[in-house]
Amino acid sequence: MRQFIESVKIALAALWANKLRTTLTLIGMIIGVATIIAIVSLITGMNQYVAAEIDQLGATTFIVDKEGIITSEETWWERMKRKKLTVEDMNEVAAGCQGCEYVGGREMTMRKVKAGNRYVNDVFIMGSTANYPQIVNFEIEQGHYPTEADNEHRRPVAFIGYDIIDELFPGMSHIGKTITISGQEYSVIGNGKRRGSTLGNSHDNYVIIPLSTFEKQFGQRRSLDIFVKARSFEGIASAQDEVRMTMRARHKLKYADADDFEIFTAGDIMSMWENFSRGAFIVMIGISSISLIVGGIVIMNIMLVSVTERTREIGIRKAIGARKASVMWQFLSEALTLSVLGGAVGILGGIAVGQGLSALSGIPMGIEIWSIVAGILVSGGIGTVFGVYPAMKAARLDPIEALRYE
Amino acid sequence: MLIKTENLWKTYNMGGEELHALRGVTFCIDKGEYVAIMGPSGSGKSTLMNLIGCLDTPSKGTYQLNGRQVASMNDDELAFIRNKEIGFVFQTFNLLPRATALHNVELPLIYNGTTAETRIDLAKRALEMVDLADRMMHRPNQLSGGQRQRVAIARALVNNPSLILADEPTGNLDTKTGVEIMGVFDRLHEAGNTIIIVTHEHDVAQYANRIVHIRDGQIEREESGRKRAA
Repeated sequence: MRQFIESVKIALAALWANKLRTTLTLIGMIIGVATIIAIVSLITGMNQYVAAEIDQLGATTFIVDKEGIITSEETWWERMKRKKLTVEDMNEVAAGCQGCEYVGGREMTMRKVKAGNRYVNDVFIMGSTANYPQIVNFEIEQGHYPTEADNEHRRPVAFIGYDIIDELFPGMSHIGKTITISGQEYSVIGNGKRRGSTLGNSHDNYVIIPLSTFEKQFGQRRSLDIFVKARSFEGIASAQDEVRMTMRARHKLKYADADDFEIFTAGDIMSMWENFSRGAFIVMIGISSISLIVGGIVIMNIMLVSVTERTREIGIRKAIGARKASVMWQFLSEALTLSVLGGAVGILGGIAVGQGLSALSGIPMGIEIWSIVAGILVSGGIGTVFGVYPAMKAARLDPIEALRYE
Repeated sequence: MLIKTENLWKTYNMGGEELHALRGVTFCIDKGEYVAIMGPSGSGKSTLMNLIGCLDTPSKGTYQLNGRQVASMNDDELAFIRNKEIGFVFQTFNLLPRATALHNVELPLIYNGTTAETRIDLAKRALEMVDLADRMMHRPNQLSGGQRQRVAIARALVNNPSLILADEPTGNLDTKTGVEIMGVFDRLHEAGNTIIIVTHEHDVAQYANRIVHIRDGQIEREESGRKRAA
């Protein structure tokens, strides 16, 4: 231990004496470690974000729709041919499901929204049933959500997000005002809480109208997404079975036929996201490994130069009694100090880059202790692997030759 | 008997041709002696010094240092012996350029596991012995040649070795400083240290009690130092 501290001190002094060289040597290592740290932080942040977002959907909620989660082009083409889900399907599901607390539905499109001479492009227009806020934990700030009665009478009422308020009614009251979507006028009856944005996508860019109003104005060709909230977490599976039976009966599927609709939960979306992020993670680790290996080779190179430059020093140390192991350890700890220093700078750099990207893109970031520990271990490991050969070369020098070296 | 060599041979293989640097050197040195080894270049005196200094092992023959057979030792055992028994003083001082005088003197103690406190204590005492107590924190490039060589002598002394081995210690110094340095060796000898000086200068060799002349890898003759004999 004493010798280790001694070696690190000697190493730091030697590195400090060659500041520029040390910096240049470490760039590869720094970039490699910084990349890993930044990526891990961002993926962690994304995971936390996705988890929070999905959490909003609720642990007892599941979705029945035509497409499900699409992971390939073939499934997309195949599922496009399926029968669309309808309001009648939703009503049958609701009637035939003991384990369902709420059964609601939602359809969506994108339109321009106007008020007077102001307008917003590409707004999510959503037609939903009155129970939708209860199913997906949607929070209302002012006014009220379109009701059962609004739905029944296909009333032209709109519940809006903050982007619409900011753009169309800046600094004014919006309740009771009129907005126009594709020529149809709607009266604003309420708005949701501000939810902010992720990855540059706003979560406040929506107008919600009654489902029946939606179908009246935008047609019935869209497939309905059916949202179901089970009575309990334990009861999700049986509720899903009930829904599945109803849907299979309505679609007249035979015993051997596969479902021609999809049922999935927040957990399913989460695990799909995790698969994706794991893939991204592995790719990024692969890329940064290359820079780490290059960093290691540069360290090896500079250590070889250092051994040559300090041949005489090695001779002196050997003459006065340094054993092979001592010399070996001296140079190995120098390589180790060098690389761990690079690792440490890389970690700080990675956190800075992650925070910068996070600030720019709106992706949240989460710093993981294990990624910092891994950064130190990986850089130290690389320093050791690439430092062994130069250190061995130093240790094997003949003291007489080394002392004579000019 | 501190040093006892018997029929030492050192043979180098130079491109298939055998070159005998030493051809059967036999001699003894007692504790407390002051010996000069003299010879022209190519005489084999450097080879002999390397063997005595345990930097190398002989091709043939035996070498006993302070009761230990050194001839058949491996590198690490030799390193241990060098650390414990021998203090080197070189012509070119061979100090670590970036380290302070104190750290340079401490160095041998690092390799035998002396604790930091004791190390600094011993190093300071060694520097005081060569009158450099006021230059401890100076680096070699802030010291004169004579001062550098005194740091090197302090380093050679710090481990309290049984032998101080100096290779042309005045070779890189002007005459006046050379005399000063030889004075330091005199004092060390009077304090009971065994000293071997390898040199090709007569004036320097005269400081020793005993002068061993080497030529063509063999001991040519021995004589007493003039200064002592007088």
